[in-house]
Amino acid sequence: MRKLISVLLVLAMILAIMPAALADGAPEPITLTVFRGDPGDQPAEDNKIYKLIEEKFGVKFEFEFLAGDLDEKLGLMIAGEDYPDLFDGGNSADLIISNGALINLLDYVNPEDTPRLWAHIEPQKARLIDKDEDGNDVLYIIPNYGLTDGDQIVNEVNGPAFFVQKQVLAWAGYPQIHTLNEYFDLIEKFIEANPTDENGSPYVGFDILCEDWRHFCLINPVQHLMGRPNDGEVYICVTDQNYAVTGNDPSEEFKTETFIDKPYAKAYYQKLNEEFHKGLISKDTFVMNYDQYIAQLSSGTVLGMFDQTWDFGNATAALKDAKMDKNTYVALGLVYDPEYVDGQEIEEHYVNGSLPNVRRGFGISVNCECPERIVAMWEEMLSDEWQIIFNWGIEGEDYYVEDGRLLMTEEQYMQRNDNAWKVQNRALAFFESSPKKQGWILDGEFAGNAWDPANQPEIVLGLMNDYDKEFLSAYGYSKFADFVNPPIELAPYGEAWQIDYTPVDVDHQDFLNIQDKRLPELIMCDPAEFDAKWDAFVEEITPSATAFGEYMQEAVRAEAAKVLDK
Amino acid sequence: MTSVSHRSNKELRPVSKKGFFRTLAGQWQLMLMSVPMLLYVILFNYAPMWGWITAFQDYKPKAGIFGSKWVGMKNFMWLFGREDFINSIRNTLAMSVINLVFGTVSSILLAILLNEVRNRGFKRTVQTVTYLPHFLSMVIVVGMAQNIFASDGAVNGLLKSLRLVKEPVFFLGEGRYFWWLVGVINVWKEVGWNTIIYISAMTSIDPSLYEAAAIDGAGRFHRILHVTLPGIKSTFVILLIMNIGHLMEAGFEIQYLLGSSVVMDWSQTIDIFVLQYGISKQQYGVATAAGMFKSIVAIILLVAANTLAKRLDEDTLL
Repeated sequence: MRKLISVLLVLAMILAIMPAALADGAPEPITLTVFRGDPGDQPAEDNKIYKLIEEKFGVKFEFEFLAGDLDEKLGLMIAGEDYPDLFDGGNSADLIISNGALINLLDYVNPEDTPRLWAHIEPQKARLIDKDEDGNDVLYIIPNYGLTDGDQIVNEVNGPAFFVQKQVLAWAGYPQIHTLNEYFDLIEKFIEANPTDENGSPYVGFDILCEDWRHFCLINPVQHLMGRPNDGEVYICVTDQNYAVTGNDPSEEFKTETFIDKPYAKAYYQKLNEEFHKGLISKDTFVMNYDQYIAQLSSGTVLGMFDQTWDFGNATAALKDAKMDKNTYVALGLVYDPEYVDGQEIEEHYVNGSLPNVRRGFGISVNCECPERIVAMWEEMLSDEWQIIFNWGIEGEDYYVEDGRLLMTEEQYMQRNDNAWKVQNRALAFFESSPKKQGWILDGEFAGNAWDPANQPEIVLGLMNDYDKEFLSAYGYSKFADFVNPPIELAPYGEAWQIDYTPVDVDHQDFLNIQDKRLPELIMCDPAEFDAKWDAFVEEITPSATAFGEYMQEAVRAEAAKVLDK
Repeated sequence: MTSVSHRSNKELRPVSKKGFFRTLAGQWQLMLMSVPMLLYVILFNYAPMWGWITAFQDYKPKAGIFGSKWVGMKNFMWLFGREDFINSIRNTLAMSVINLVFGTVSSILLAILLNEVRNRGFKRTVQTVTYLPHFLSMVIVVGMAQNIFASDGAVNGLLKSLRLVKEPVFFLGEGRYFWWLVGVINVWKEVGWNTIIYISAMTSIDPSLYEAAAIDGAGRFHRILHVTLPGIKSTFVILLIMNIGHLMEAGFEIQYLLGSSVVMDWSQTIDIFVLQYGISKQQYGVATAAGMFKSIVAIILLVAANTLAKRLDEDTLL
């Protein structure tokens, strides 16, 4: 009897398992380890999008986010060859690539097996595909951003700019601010008339964040004041259509130099020194960490700063949440006044053409046991259906459709700013670093809609708050990007900050360290000593600046050649 | 702070050759018990020394120890040719010495004060309150310190209200304050914890010594000077020797968290330098060379301190 029961039990078990194994080829469940090269939030256990992914692809994720310094973390991972399956090395992916941590995706991505992925990268092939030491084509990372469809969308400045609180412009009667002097004059006058906010907290004129890699707020502005978009730490003199300074002289083509050690940089820091002694800049800004910076911005007491829009998104969200719309920021495209650059009139170019985020995003590590499965998953996820799930969510819950338009109610759109909601209802930890469609939906059922709700015209205009509407109409603008010039055509080399500088890593680190140490000193020093201190700074930084600059000159030309040749 | 169980070393004098195995056999239970420790030390302290080879290589993880290029003393030359590495040695030693002096003096002082307190409840309370910060994470401690020492923080508020300064002192952004700030924060965090060991040493002092001193007419101050302090001398010496062995480790977290680029010349320790230029920049050979340099200096310091203590006829560690 007992035997019979056990046989029956075994049979029952087999029968129970069978359908699962046979069900329309449901893939064997796996868990992928994922590293993200930036801090982030762990998704909730019962996140609805990850549940869908698990049901459809049998894939679960185990996320690790960056805590601390990226290069240090990657250095340790490389030393131990301790790689996750999906590996996002952030801005230092070059380190993991040069140490052989990633597989070549071209072994799996091709027009036949993965038509969507191929169509996705094909237009920017020249920028994306590199040659390895043996001359083979290699692609380690499909960019997480910047492969866009249709016309470039510029509703607001999302990159670098000088920022100023909207109330400052409103107070001054909505003036046009285009130069460094105009900008600081405006802030000075405002702070003179309004030393404190309505709660009695003193206003800070200008903040400079110097922490770690975010020191671009301290060291990057000069190139923009000279009229170039973001090339990182070099200034590329492009004055004619041949991307040369003058005519057809090849040695002038893509002329690249570090700018921080040049006379035209001195003017900016001397100006900051002046403003420091006028009390517009506080000493504490140089020892502030990122959290303190965001907290200060969120309090609404900081009138201006140089930064990039995405870098203080949390502060903007906090200000909006607190209904302090007048304390949110406008991006201005400032240039040097002619007096600083021998009378030259400079045209501003803060917004660049749409740029693939080359070598940034997920790669698949050599330790991964199922790369073909991940690629197949990405291929499937580039379908309209999945892209809409990732961008918009679930129809009826997170968005609704009316006459072929994807729409959201105000509540549906606003909850997307809520972190607690996001970890439950969006798969950002995975999606942000994965290949994705951006720009406009070109064909199919939803053609003409934007992939990202934040770019959907009905949402951009319909959900703008009254303060912003009034503010824009006072200027006669329709969008905040109208404060700066329209985008220029992307130069063949892309943007130089993307260039892999690992071969001159140590020089580059010295180059940055000296700036981090000396620039705050220069801003705070006695104005009478400024000239002498500047000369000492230039002397100190010249060796590393030269080494880095020479390398970048070659690299920029090589990068441009890749695009121009093909 | 490690334990002071080493004190019992004194009783374990080497035995004559003939008796060695007999003693060994006689103590087999003890030997058995020490096997795991021995294995631990071999596995985690001796085996990794194999990796020191990479100090003489341009080590690439992909190529491994056997495939990496030999570069002789290049890594060491590079390190000592850099001004900021020399600075970081200076900073490490300076902050270690400040920590050692501040830490020892403050904890002995507090231990003596507590030892003199007769009210048990008060004593316990003070002890608990002073050692609680030890359990706080350095991130929290530094966060608090940043608030307290900020231009609009409590310390500057106090200095201003006492009219000691006109302009707020820029504690966090001026290099010359950095070492002392680290010293002060470390004292606040560790003083209670470090006191425990001295208090336990004091409780082992024979009470009859105090009675005898009192009968001889010694007041409270003299009893401290002639009974308490000599009573904890051997503990003090052992701890000092051990701490001298750690002089090359000035801590890492506090400098990493409290330091900013404006004070880098004073805040960068060897460990931070190694992290920045060794590990982050994949110069693993350089990182190893710096680690090796640290270890060798530590050994020299330890042996020197020990020898000195021996000369002075004190209890020693080795």
